Amino acid sequence: MNVIEIKNLTKQYNKARGIIDVTLNVEQGEVFGFIGPNGAGKSTTIRTLLGLIYPTSGSASIFGKNCIEFPEVRKELGYLPSEVFYYDNMRVIDLLKYSASFYKKDCMKRINELAEIMDLNLKKKIDDLSFGNKKKVGIVQGLLHQPKLIILDEPTSGLDPLMQQRFFELLKEENQKGASVFFSSHILSEVQKMCSRVAFIKDGQIIKLEKISTLHENNFKRISIEAQSGITKDTFDINGVSNFEVKGNTANFIFKGNINSIMKKIAEIELRNISIDEPDLEEIFMHYYTKEG
Amino acid sequence: MNMYLHELKALRKSAIIWMFVLIALAALYLSIYPSIVNDAEDFKKLLSGYPASVRAMLGINLDYITSILGFYAMIFSFITLCGAIQAMNLGVSILSKESRERTADFLLVKPVSRSAVVSAKLLAAFTTILGTDIVFYVVSSILANSVKTADYNEKLFFMINLTLFFIQLIFLALGVVVSVFFNKLKSVLPISLGIVFGLYMIGALLATGKNDDAVRFISPFKYFDSTYIIKNASYEASYLITGAAIVVVAIVASYIIYNKKDIHAVS
Repeated sequence: MNVIEIKNLTKQYNKARGIIDVTLNVEQGEVFGFIGPNGAGKSTTIRTLLGLIYPTSGSASIFGKNCIEFPEVRKELGYLPSEVFYYDNMRVIDLLKYSASFYKKDCMKRINELAEIMDLNLKKKIDDLSFGNKKKVGIVQGLLHQPKLIILDEPTSGLDPLMQQRFFELLKEENQKGASVFFSSHILSEVQKMCSRVAFIKDGQIIKLEKISTLHENNFKRISIEAQSGITKDTFDINGVSNFEVKGNTANFIFKGNINSIMKKIAEIELRNISIDEPDLEEIFMHYYTKEG
Repeated sequence: MNMYLHELKALRKSAIIWMFVLIALAALYLSIYPSIVNDAEDFKKLLSGYPASVRAMLGINLDYITSILGFYAMIFSFITLCGAIQAMNLGVSILSKESRERTADFLLVKPVSRSAVVSAKLLAAFTTILGTDIVFYVVSSILANSVKTADYNEKLFFMINLTLFFIQLIFLALGVVVSVFFNKLKSVLPISLGIVFGLYMIGALLATGKNDDAVRFISPFKYFDSTYIIKNASYEASYLITGAAIVVVAIVASYIIYNKKDIHAVS
């Protein structure tokens, strides 16, 4: 069963582009990564899915139902927005109780557990919390009713590494208990660890939807070489090379595929220097982008 | 129910402040009533020296001014002005504050429909106004009883007070419908003060002209003429109906628009 189904979803803002023809689905029990640079349309997709904004065309549903027509399907949904703002003059515990009151079940035990894990002081006023601590309130708020679907919009910004780790463990636990997770981020490495599949979005369009295992297989490498004599583009005319740039005796490119094939090619050249790095997300994007375009 | 209680709690403080303002205003004016009665003739002579248009603008009626009802009716126009500001603020802010304080992402992804959110908020605002008016009525009637020089018709006193509630309902509904047209209202006060004072000034200017019944429809402040109420012990049905119609149309429109609205991300 698909917990999230997005079909040909398009959202057009007055002038600006929103998202164009986004199609994806998330299966039950899956951790799904949604990757894209800022302004690519991640939040727009999520907000349409949640029923906060109306699609221009296409459809989005969770648990097979549209959020706008059936608001009650959101009962099994936990959502953590990218920027967390709550009623400032409330105490943390009052806000969490208010949040829990929408789900008609006793969440006190879970609230205390979560607060302990995330090291959150429930007695404080929300006003007095730092950005990172507000984020923690958001996390507890999103998880306190033990939702079956967790939607996270850039959840880790503002959290220190220790908390990030605890948070990921928490998500893993929830996932093992059967919750599906939809996770948007602009950091691929963050998502890589957890997700089974990822979708890349750029300029409002899904440019690639892939299993993480496939991504691992086609390891991306950024290779820079400096040769004794001139390099021509023909030398590296093999499958998997992209973004090829030559400047005199040096060459830069992204390689995706079997690492041995490129090593053989490189071995044919007299090298002065070589470096092989993990490319950053933008470069992987460019890899997809140039290929698709 | 949880949303209703949450809203009530959030509105409590401002409601108490407004209550005090209204009561203080009434107390201030009523406290000078005894001295006005003492010098009734001089006071009337002084007021009759004013141009008729100014008197009309201030809602002064020479026949009644020295009776407690007449006096109260005059000062009541300031109280309704205050009350209208309270109601308009409430109306403009009650839905828009979720976007302004950026909490819409919290509330509107809960398993409740937007209509339920609107209903809870409207009910909370309605309760706040009703509460304010009841307390105000009780206190003002105690005040009036303590400064009165002769007995007065308590039913008329109640009817005058009730117009505060009617006018507040109208402005509450107007405020709500105005607010749903904005994607993000940065501040409430300029809009609510602008509209309330605008309509009040229009009302005051209308009163100076030939009292044409048709133009009175423009300003809700002119819907309930205290002189008419004192004379006839009833409201003017056509204006009462108009007021009710404004409330109904505005509320229905608010539900429709709010349900169809895109809730944008914070920025």
